[in-house]
Amino acid sequence: MSSHPANGLDDTVHQRVRLGILTIAHEARRVEFGYLRTNLDLTAGNLSQHLSILENAGLVSIEKGYEGKRPRTWVSLTKAGRTALHDEIAHLKRLISHVEQPPDRKRS
Amino acid sequence: MIAMTTEPTYADDDPHQLLVNSRHLASQVRRAQRGTWIPLVVFALVTFGAIPVDRWSHYSLTCRTAAPHGVNGVEAKVCAVYATAGFVYWPIALVLAYVAVAALYVRRSRERGLGTRVRPYVVAGIVLAALATAVSISSALHPRFGAPTFLGLRLGTQPDAFYHLIGPASAIGLALLVLAWLERSLSLLALTLVYLATVIHPLDAGHIVHHLSPWTFLPNLLVHGGVLLLGGIGFAIAERAARTHDA
Repeated sequence: MSSHPANGLDDTVHQRVRLGILTIAHEARRVEFGYLRTNLDLTAGNLSQHLSILENAGLVSIEKGYEGKRPRTWVSLTKAGRTALHDEIAHLKRLISHVEQPPDRKRS
Repeated sequence: MIAMTTEPTYADDDPHQLLVNSRHLASQVRRAQRGTWIPLVVFALVTFGAIPVDRWSHYSLTCRTAAPHGVNGVEAKVCAVYATAGFVYWPIALVLAYVAVAALYVRRSRERGLGTRVRPYVVAGIVLAALATAVSISSALHPRFGAPTFLGLRLGTQPDAFYHLIGPASAIGLALLVLAWLERSLSLLALTLVYLATVIHPLDAGHIVHHLSPWTFLPNLLVHGGVLLLGGIGFAIAERAARTHDA
């Protein structure tokens, strides 16, 4: 049982796009598909793939509907998603401080 | 589909880069959600709307003896003069303003493809409006002499500043403080502190308007509304410039 901070990383969340989706959804409460596509610079297909992974892991919920005649897809963070995002950020901070520690302190 | 966990590690999956990217995306969302000019302009309008209310309202006077045996042998009375319509105007106007601001914020964010948290702001605003009105009515009907007290404790050595801080104008300022915290906006915090300073230390209107004039209230309302309106215009210009820059 190693206590290296990299061991706590969740592969579903530890990825640039998916961490970005969770961050935006957390900050905005809920976010529209188009905003994610534009701001994460993704194709619709690629974004859909990442959203499916997050939805299957229970980290986001996806709500489809209409605003006027325009179809809209809204993404919100679930409670598990909020915890996963919080844990990932904490792990990243620990990992960075572990890497930045001088070697003699890492051994002790 | 879950096989994505085996995808290669890109350079931008580096922890430091991920954190930087995450912070950048969060601040981008906050910038897109911001509409700081909306509450500032709405509250400026509410403040200017109080001008006719204060000018043409019925004024009442409540006096009470400050000390049962007088001060230095002289009977001392403390009186409060107040516009009765203000007790109706301010709570209604403030609550409507908070609801309007929240609705405009939500609508604006939706148009940009984002949700927004307005509940803490609306709840804080309505609670502050109710408290400010209740305390204003209580101070008008039971004018106090000297430093205010709460549960027997003196609340400060500057009674005037304290009584200015419990009015509806400060309810606007305190709600703006909540908004500055929600939007993590230092510039709104700075503007709110300037506004609250004008509320706590109002102009001595006697130098501008004759003290018997029915317009003695006007200079301070103009200053409060003016600070909010100019701030709103400033934020509108800055937010527009930031949007053009982001685009």
